[in-house]
Amino acid sequence: MTTARLVAWMMAMAIGAAATRADAVVTGTIVGPGSQSFPIAVVPLKNLGGDNDGSLGKTFARVLSKDLDLSGYFKLIDPRTFIENQASGIGAAEIDFVGWAALGAQELVKGGISVDGDKVTVEVRLFDVPGRKDVPEVGRRVSGARADVPRMAHRFADQLLEFLTGERGPFDSQIALTSTRGGRGLLKELYLWTFDRDDPMRLTNEQTLMASPRWRPDGGAILFTSWKEHQPHLFTFDMQTRRVSRLVPGAGAVLSGAWSPDGSKLLVAREDGGNSDIFLLDRSGGLIRQLTDHWAIDVSPVWAPDGQRFAFCSARGGSPQIYEMGIDGSGLRRVSTVGNYNTSPAWSPKGDRIAYSTRAGGGFQVVVAMMDGTGAKTVTSQGSNEDPSWAPDGRYLIFSTTRGGGHHLALADRDGRVQRELTRGTADDTSPSWSARLEW
Amino acid sequence: MRWMTAKRTALIALCVVVALAGACSTKKKGVGEEGTGTGEEGLSGSSLDRARSGRGPEEDGILKDIHFGYDSAEIESSERGRLDENVDWLRQNPRAKIELEGHCDSRGTIEYNLGLGAKRAKAVKDYLVGQGIGGDRISTISYGKELPLCQDETEACWARNRRVHAVILGK
Repeated sequence: MTTARLVAWMMAMAIGAAATRADAVVTGTIVGPGSQSFPIAVVPLKNLGGDNDGSLGKTFARVLSKDLDLSGYFKLIDPRTFIENQASGIGAAEIDFVGWAALGAQELVKGGISVDGDKVTVEVRLFDVPGRKDVPEVGRRVSGARADVPRMAHRFADQLLEFLTGERGPFDSQIALTSTRGGRGLLKELYLWTFDRDDPMRLTNEQTLMASPRWRPDGGAILFTSWKEHQPHLFTFDMQTRRVSRLVPGAGAVLSGAWSPDGSKLLVAREDGGNSDIFLLDRSGGLIRQLTDHWAIDVSPVWAPDGQRFAFCSARGGSPQIYEMGIDGSGLRRVSTVGNYNTSPAWSPKGDRIAYSTRAGGGFQVVVAMMDGTGAKTVTSQGSNEDPSWAPDGRYLIFSTTRGGGHHLALADRDGRVQRELTRGTADDTSPSWSARLEW
Repeated sequence: MRWMTAKRTALIALCVVVALAGACSTKKKGVGEEGTGTGEEGLSGSSLDRARSGRGPEEDGILKDIHFGYDSAEIESSERGRLDENVDWLRQNPRAKIELEGHCDSRGTIEYNLGLGAKRAKAVKDYLVGQGIGGDRISTISYGKELPLCQDETEACWARNRRVHAVILGK
């Protein structure tokens, strides 16, 4: 296969492109996340100086391999079967393509790493094994600190996904969540998790209850609900200063909130006299407009990516369902059409789909539907699954699951073909919020 | 981290003092007994304060828990007797102020249950006010499903967790 053909074939694997281009190139192959279409080998980075125990080179390969596995597009070749050792070079001329092909690898990732003090330089390449050449569109030289190596791997994974599927991957990002990992019974703190970590890292020490963390779109702060001042109110955690501060002034309880895509406004669910309604506020908490006024529960407002509409959960029809409305208060419309208990909406960053939790059997499952309510599909089945949050690429979802006991984070693609558990342990990890892609 | 250690030491010291005063009992008290106290006799503390100090949530108390159906904030006729006992106590203790905590079972998402817990607390407040108890004596708060009494996924446990718990703020 020539590189040009390989590219065409890989592009055909893209979710959106599959229907239009696939028939010309590939037949009889299930494509998309979960297809594990690409057999790939990831070799630890060669030490080009300074990475004497090889630990950074191994970290890069481990993080990259995990991302590729999570994406569901790849079948990773078992490293124990690798035919090449650290000594071989990273130029196409030095690679045993015949040997890699014999192992079933269609693609190969090789690279080198050099370390000088805290400065790390990584050069990584993607090789087309059948075409016996490197793929210049993917792979590059990148420098940073030692601590940046996991992010270099995430970025390479995201680039690889962009090259293969036409949509950049989502792994160079962060997950905010609440967790009982502090060991203080039911009390929750704010935690941060990234795709290279085993366990989430604690951000706050508020010793109270917390709920509903959500990123500010620029990634600089996390909005969350906290009971630290007795009634639930909205607070922010600033990623730079690590300071917690109250956001919305006033006495009324605020159950949850969400920043607009441009960061200039807030949607909040405010409770007064037992009833919760949705309000539009400016960024410092000043009232712009009350958007709902109904005796039934209205909670969980989330923005459309265009910042003009929002979705929320309301029991106004007799059971909790997902609705949408314009931020001028116009055009109320019910979105969820199946199920008698639907909550926790999340609007896809691509704008076309909505995810929510639906009650099914004894627990909850994550549903993905088109914004007009059609095509509703349950994308989880094992355990109870709640509080979905979209990846920045609109292709994957993170949510809390009870598969394996307790609540932990899990990932699925929007069609439900990829299912991966992300965190483990005896504590409860809940309410994940997936950040935008990080700035480099 | 030094600060945390200092604070924890202070907390332990406080607990020892309170224990010496006979108020740090972990014995689950029966209906009608005085509360376990956070210093003032009869005051058992909010469910969150109890969680902060490592105590489990309180079931009943001087005032009775009021229970609800699934996804409901309607006062059920079966709860009238317990509500009226609470009314009697509030009439006999006219200076007492209380906070009604709305709680939910684990079925349902966190945010929706916060809304539901608020409705349950308000429903009990409305009943008490309807019986002539001053509304200014009663505050409400929702903890949703965050502070359950029990964590088994059984109907018996869910039913215990669907409740409004009354905390006496002062007499």
